[in-house]
Amino acid sequence: MAFSHGSRSDRAVTKQGNRGFSRWGRRIMNEHRRQILEMLSQGKISADEAERLISAVEQPAARSADSDTASAEKTRPKYLRVQVDSEDDGGHDGPTKVNVRVPMQLLRAGVKLAYLIPTAALQKANLAMHEKGIPVDLTQIKPENLEELVEQLSDLTVDVDQKDQRAKVKVRVFCE
Amino acid sequence: MIPFVAVVSLRNQESRTFRLWIPLVLVWLLLLPLAVLATPFIFIACLVCGVNPFRGVAVIWQILWALNDTELEVEHRSAGMSFHIL
Repeated sequence: MAFSHGSRSDRAVTKQGNRGFSRWGRRIMNEHRRQILEMLSQGKISADEAERLISAVEQPAARSADSDTASAEKTRPKYLRVQVDSEDDGGHDGPTKVNVRVPMQLLRAGVKLAYLIPTAALQKANLAMHEKGIPVDLTQIKPENLEELVEQLSDLTVDVDQKDQRAKVKVRVFCE
Repeated sequence: MIPFVAVVSLRNQESRTFRLWIPLVLVWLLLLPLAVLATPFIFIACLVCGVNPFRGVAVIWQILWALNDTELEVEHRSAGMSFHIL
């Protein structure tokens, strides 16, 4: 049984790339601004010219920040998909395919149900989980944590391949 | 918007597909009087459990709202089934 769990590397790289690029762009912009201010203090340019130069330097940066936000909005996934492919080698049942598409909105709404769980029930669940060796305190989970959890699902891909003597099962969980 | 229609498709061994359109609007309309009748009991149950009933209603409403575009497909050699909420 092979199990792999990782993030969508291409998207993560793009996001990191964008972040790095905007940070780099900001540094360059600060450098340009410093040079303009130096020229102004040395009397090489007038205040009007300095203002015009600074606004010219700031415009591309603002544009790139806008495009960053737009691309983040664009890549925000809408659905969580679960695909199960089962191939039966015995030849009795044949292959079975399961395909489930859940809107992320439904996940968010479902997660909000967690706010409604009474504290007593959460404590019972805590105890049960501790008994199973999972040290998670559910009472400490705040609404913003759950929101963040759903947000982070967009970078999640789970692939499970199971090759048994009788059947091959492939499970994929990802966001699209 | 809350979902109005659910489509259930069933495929049998002879590869014949039956598609059933379920008007969920009618289901909601049928459930509405029941929900109204059950409201006081739900409120009491929420108060007993220490849950804000208004928050509960809001969450249930959000879940109904978010059901749109939910899809489930099961395909097998001999039969298949799909369920799609529109």
